[in-house]
Amino acid sequence: MKIWTSEHIFNHPWEMVIKAAMQKYPNPMNPSVVGVDVLDRKIDTQGCLHSKRLLSTEWGLPSIVKSLVGNARTYTYVQEQSVIDPKEQTFELQSSNITFTNMVSVDEKLTYKPHPEDPEKTILTQEAIISVKGVSLSSYLEGVMASTISTNAGKAEVFIAIANRKKRREMITVMLGQ
Amino acid sequence: MNSVGEACTELKREYDTCFNRWFAEKFLKGDRSGDPCTESFRKYQRCVQAAIKEKEIPIDGVDFMGPNKDNDRR
Repeated sequence: MKIWTSEHIFNHPWEMVIKAAMQKYPNPMNPSVVGVDVLDRKIDTQGCLHSKRLLSTEWGLPSIVKSLVGNARTYTYVQEQSVIDPKEQTFELQSSNITFTNMVSVDEKLTYKPHPEDPEKTILTQEAIISVKGVSLSSYLEGVMASTISTNAGKAEVFIAIANRKKRREMITVMLGQ
Repeated sequence: MNSVGEACTELKREYDTCFNRWFAEKFLKGDRSGDPCTESFRKYQRCVQAAIKEKEIPIDGVDFMGPNKDNDRR
């Protein structure tokens, strides 16, 4: 079992980061996500928006393998629950894989909040718990998966650029800046 | 971005466009006035639920008391 955590600071206010995060896919920095569907969405009595989504991810297997076993067997499906509190300015997401659960379990939790010291910035904390089951090299594989998640987290800021298609100048600024 | 059901991608795009606009212009600004997307969501959902059933994707029951961590893993 491997637990991985990270923190990333966006140089943009929370509202802007959330709008971009809601349109995070397609994301060329994480092309393994090939499908996103909203399964349900509700606003609760406190005014918080709850969403349940299904993400289809692809392993990147060679197309000959895919043609032999069919897409359904080469996709991994992830179920994600999220809550946005617009008054408190928090966006929390939790996701788990729902297929191949007898082989691997990846649970992720993300939280976006305004930076406590600078309201023009947003802080993303990310946690992942990864378990690979019944495989003697499991620790090594868990390490590989954690390092993939870590690499993707470092590219988080690019998705803001992609969501803001109309604001070209801002996009260039975001991509160049830290 | 595609839907899990290939036939649902267009319905998904219609719903997403409606939702993203409402989200940015109303929800984040504290405006709780009616959700204009219920009809497009309904059409989109009918298609997605059929695709999920056909592909036998094991979705948990809907739980809106907060994120569902009661996954039964064996």
